[in-house]
Amino acid sequence: MSPFWLSYLPLAIILSSLLPGLIIFTLKEQQVKLRISLNLLGVTVKLILVLIMWQAVKAGDIFYFSVPFLPGADLVLQGDALSLLFVVLSSVLWLATTIYAIGYLENSPLRSRFFGYFSLCVSATVGLALSGNLVSFLLFYELLTLATFPLVVHRGTPQSLAAGRRYLAYTLGGGLLLLTGVALLHSLVQSPQFVPGGYVSAVVSEHSGLLQLAFGLMIAGLGVKAALLPLHGWLPQAMVAPAPVSALLHAVAVVKAGAFGIIRLVYDVFGVESMQLLQLAEPLMLLAAATILYGSWRALAQQDIKRRLAYSTISQVSYITVGVAMLGPLAAVGGLVHLVHQGVMKITLFFCAGNYAETLGVHKINELNGAGRRMPLTSVAFTLGALGMIGIPPTAGFISKWYLGLGAVASDNQLMLLVFVFSGLLNAAYFLPIIYRLWFLPQRGSWPDEQRLSARLETHWMLLLPMLFTALLIILMGLFASTGISPLSWAELIVEREFSYD
Amino acid sequence: MTELSGSLLLFLLTAASLVAIGVYGFIIGPEPLRRILALNIISAGIFMLMVVLAYRTSGSGATELAADPVLQALVLTGLVVAVSATAFALALLARLEQSSSEMSAPLQLKQTEPEQ
Amino acid sequence: MMILLLVLPLLSALLMLLWPRIAPLLALFSAAASSLLALQLLLQVAEQGTRYWLLAGWPSGLAIAWQADTLSCLLILLSTVLQLLVGLYAFATRSRDKLSQGFWPLSTLLQLSLTALWLSRDLFNLYVCLELLGLVAVALVSLSGRKAIKPAFNYLLLSLFGSLCYLLGVVLLYGAYGLLDIAGLASQWQAGWLSNSALLLMSLGLMLKAAIWPLHAWLPAAHAAAPAPVSALLSALVVKGPLFILCLLWLQLASTSQAQAMAPLFAAAGLAALLFGGWSALRTPFAKNLVAYSTVAQLGYATLALGLMLTFDQPLIFAALWLFVLAHALAKAACFLAIGEMSATLGGKRLTILKGASQTMPLAMFAFAVAGGSLIGLPPSGGFLAKWALLQGLWLQGEQLFWPLALVFATLLSAAYVFRVVVLAFDRADPVAPDFAPQLVPQWLALLPALAVWAMALFSEPLLLLLRLEAL
Repeated sequence: MSPFWLSYLPLAIILSSLLPGLIIFTLKEQQVKLRISLNLLGVTVKLILVLIMWQAVKAGDIFYFSVPFLPGADLVLQGDALSLLFVVLSSVLWLATTIYAIGYLENSPLRSRFFGYFSLCVSATVGLALSGNLVSFLLFYELLTLATFPLVVHRGTPQSLAAGRRYLAYTLGGGLLLLTGVALLHSLVQSPQFVPGGYVSAVVSEHSGLLQLAFGLMIAGLGVKAALLPLHGWLPQAMVAPAPVSALLHAVAVVKAGAFGIIRLVYDVFGVESMQLLQLAEPLMLLAAATILYGSWRALAQQDIKRRLAYSTISQVSYITVGVAMLGPLAAVGGLVHLVHQGVMKITLFFCAGNYAETLGVHKINELNGAGRRMPLTSVAFTLGALGMIGIPPTAGFISKWYLGLGAVASDNQLMLLVFVFSGLLNAAYFLPIIYRLWFLPQRGSWPDEQRLSARLETHWMLLLPMLFTALLIILMGLFASTGISPLSWAELIVEREFSYD
Repeated sequence: MTELSGSLLLFLLTAASLVAIGVYGFIIGPEPLRRILALNIISAGIFMLMVVLAYRTSGSGATELAADPVLQALVLTGLVVAVSATAFALALLARLEQSSSEMSAPLQLKQTEPEQ
Repeated sequence: MMILLLVLPLLSALLMLLWPRIAPLLALFSAAASSLLALQLLLQVAEQGTRYWLLAGWPSGLAIAWQADTLSCLLILLSTVLQLLVGLYAFATRSRDKLSQGFWPLSTLLQLSLTALWLSRDLFNLYVCLELLGLVAVALVSLSGRKAIKPAFNYLLLSLFGSLCYLLGVVLLYGAYGLLDIAGLASQWQAGWLSNSALLLMSLGLMLKAAIWPLHAWLPAAHAAAPAPVSALLSALVVKGPLFILCLLWLQLASTSQAQAMAPLFAAAGLAALLFGGWSALRTPFAKNLVAYSTVAQLGYATLALGLMLTFDQPLIFAALWLFVLAHALAKAACFLAIGEMSATLGGKRLTILKGASQTMPLAMFAFAVAGGSLIGLPPSGGFLAKWALLQGLWLQGEQLFWPLALVFATLLSAAYVFRVVVLAFDRADPVAPDFAPQLVPQWLALLPALAVWAMALFSEPLLLLLRLEAL
């Protein structure tokens, strides 16, 4: 990467959403056009920059950008294959969600504040993806908490304020645990840049107890956002936020930030060998497996659409953790690719849930009877997303579960295979009834709160377009998984680089 | 430290008991004026201790009869500080009394009105 | 330059008394000029090393010792800059808040006494500074009018009592050693019942004045009763003065065994301050009391760091102590100015007036939230830097589990009371009058220190360099 400006690329990618966000804060409520153009400008610039970076990283480059911060721990931004996986995911989904949010919040109050924080959130997420050491990661992890909080309480109702308090209690507590863990690790080995194979192996024999403690503290901190089992309580409550927030944040940004952190921690801080020496993988895997089953089980009992999706998220995100914790290359591919696939599938489902709520006033599952006739496009998208979640070919979900299964077989892990099978059954048990209601049951009376948002289409085009786009992605990622531009091939590239470090 | 003569011991004991009385008065008394006075008694005790100490340290040096000038200077400074602090405390107290009597004044008026 | 830093505020305060009409301008000028001088002094000291100065050329031992090291210079810079900022705030709100004319000379005297305190290395001179500081602070509190007189009076009595305790300790030490300057005393120091009791007496007085738990009860009432600019000065600077002397005593004078014996008490008092202060801040229904209780809690960090410093003798913990002080001063000034601005504009003292403040007064609320972030210790703020240094210092001591976990818990408490306000601010606002137009300049002035405390993290390496242990 010879040109001088290329080294600023990671910074530019963050600024491309941060600056529009800061400007948007100062705008007046009525300046709708300016706000929308700023938003779209930011998204476009970001996508172009990400594309440039993607080309370079594919060719084997790694981007670094650093400013001095703490002694022994600079603020480092690092664009490598793994960070790019998350950057691309969040940038593309940001585009979809921005359009969706413009349509969804049309004529509602306080939009400047909403879009301002929304851009900050994306900046924090991208910064987190690009952060090159644990201290930088910690910084963006906390900023993400702060930027999402105003979105959770955006409606200002008592219910959303209560959810906001709970969200803060969980995530700030988690952030503190992470801070303690990072500080402990820093005192042992400083905080060098993330590197495949990790950097703790030199002190494994000397400080195994402290390393285990640091790992536990950090996993506890990351587990809050990744909604691992005892720390998942905030997620279902946070569903009171507006639909675009649930869609982007709770499907992608926040929970994935936790999962992404776990990936970084396992592969680039501790490394596979040290993980094995310290016997850390097994407990993490069991915890994640328990979360998968628990989330699916609780999802069965939920009658609210968004809450059922939330519990499903808890369950699905832990697939990523399981894939990582199995420490084998095949399972790793499955986990990494699930990061992308689950994001796209879950955001589609949340878009659909938002459309049902916005157009028909439907929030409960038993009110969905016959919605397939009134809103065919939304229902098709929902069906695709749900089938993907269950793991039915040729959707994207099938690909990730296939690789996870292969990984379990490769490491001869009967237990995990059993977990996958059982959880797949549970997934089917809570998604198929919804699909059945959508298409095969007659409508019951009139819709709770129907609105005509468009003359010809089933709802506002800005609500439809992003959803159809992501639904299409689900199919495309499944069908073209073997081509060079699929997330699968990128995940394989990452794993190749991670596992061949010596 | 040379042997303490009888009168020196007496001075020391007086100083100590002044401080003790002052502290007792400060902790016990709810009356603001009494607490100001108690603070003054403490500072009097401390100044007395300083004067006594000045006398004692003079024995070791060449100037046998002169008292330690540094401590005397300190006592003077301390006295200035104590006087100004007391004046300020009294001024505040006066304003406190004034404002509390103003606040209670309307109440008294109401009570007296029916009698007229 | 040291002399100029002392003479300038003294002269301008006197001029203000003679010529009250130009007092505000004079005060601002003096603060601005002092800030520049302080900056220059800091650069000079950082480059050429600590500077000593014996008053009027008397020989050592007889003269009053002064010393400008990096820590003192940093603290002088902090106090002059905050003085300037608070002065600007008071100037910008003068037509609304009707602050008494007395504010200007008093605040300039406050700057004088603080500067003298940071520079003195003579126990008796420190007493004089301390007394002056206390008197000026009480006078400033009483500016608020009738309701403030009672808290001001209580504050005065306790402050005087604290100074007398300190003075008694000084006298005992002088009786034993015949010396007042700290460096000289340290070289002849012997642990014994006399130095023990002198240290304890002085510490008692200083802890009372610094509002260190359990001697903090006067602080919330006094700080909450004062006008907003005064509260900012009191919480940010005044309580730090006695704390500074306390550190001088225990880090320079006390022998290792004395320090080791006292350390657990300090650490426990710090932890208790964090817990009780935080808890009270969570319960109080008044906005300014919340910030004042948070001062009690945050002083706990400094006390805790002092206790741990005495236990482990770890330079990083020393740096952490002063980072806490610096970060807290900036953050607390921002908090008080922001809260003061909001309660003056929205009318009322209760926390409930802040309902929806993120919509009605976004700038001031943002200032509070940003400053609160530093109080919690979120990265990349000054509070985070301090906490990081403390954690690093602790982990370097080996398998320490209790203190890091206690720190985490205390931080959660501070997060709880900061977000108690923030959550309220995100509530839907009640409709405001059509002519509702909050002043912008004071809000920006509240935001400035909050931004400064976040910028501290960017200068972490120079700061840590300035706060080396040898700096004292």
